[in-house]
Amino acid sequence: MTRRKLDDVDRAIVNLLSQDARVSNRQIAAELGVTEGTVRTRVRRMEEEKQIRITAVTNIDRFRDASLAYIWIEVERSHQVGEIASRLAEIPELGFVGEMLGRSDLLAITMVRNNEHLAEFVHGHISSIPGVRRTESTLGVNFVKHDYRMARIVD
Amino acid sequence: MNTAAPDIYPPLDDVDQRIISLLREDGRMPFRALAKELGLTESTIRARVRRLEESNTMRVVAVTDIEAAGYNLLLAVGVQVENRTPESVARELAAIPEVFSVNVVVGTHDIEALVVAPDQAGLHALLNERLATLPGVRRLTPALAVNVLKNQPDWVPL
Repeated sequence: MTRRKLDDVDRAIVNLLSQDARVSNRQIAAELGVTEGTVRTRVRRMEEEKQIRITAVTNIDRFRDASLAYIWIEVERSHQVGEIASRLAEIPELGFVGEMLGRSDLLAITMVRNNEHLAEFVHGHISSIPGVRRTESTLGVNFVKHDYRMARIVD
Repeated sequence: MNTAAPDIYPPLDDVDQRIISLLREDGRMPFRALAKELGLTESTIRARVRRLEESNTMRVVAVTDIEAAGYNLLLAVGVQVENRTPESVARELAAIPEVFSVNVVVGTHDIEALVVAPDQAGLHALLNERLATLPGVRRLTPALAVNVLKNQPDWVPL
């Protein structure tokens, strides 16, 4: 679980890449006063060690489904948490799945169009999973911030 | 705001979709490789990518793992607000770098936030000294994520 922490050079590179990851190694090298080889090696290592992920983020598709919904899930028996979490992680509509301590056993986050869509999604995809005891959903009305530069990188 | 957003974007054609899908897999894929994969010229790909970026439809970015960034704890914090609008409290929460997601919600809480902290002492300081003392914050109800199975950063407002 423990991941190597980024050093100062790593952080400087990531700082540039987090604004625009299409910038070339040569430009990064020039900006930071290091060699192009250093940049290439560092970026590759950070990607391989899953410290960073360089990816396209889009502003469309998902936003046709405009509200974020937090779905808190309580399981019948505590030993079922891991198994249910794995089932949830397979649902494409869920953007976040975590095993939690406090409030409830699991948190799943998705995008929905409205309350009706949320109810339909929860009943259709979540309540039907064996071992799910109850769910409590909260619908977002105003998405004030999401810093896409930060995430738990998992496969 | 969010609900009106899709209308201002040009519709994406098949080539756009395929570019986005390749860049989701590998954001550093060279223009030449993209061109080869899609059977188009490099200059076409460059122009497409630029258009996607300039229309604020897509960005290619580095997402940092929160643990590699030095944050070992991730929490979902429910916030109850009093004597102020949830929106104004949410905006102040959003100004705190460790609070990386903020949503005004309807339900038991008025705001749902995702926060990170380096360790237990850092978490205590963040919750008690910075979040709990914000004007309008009545109660904080945190839950600690002990195992994150999925966290896709690609569904965000740009």
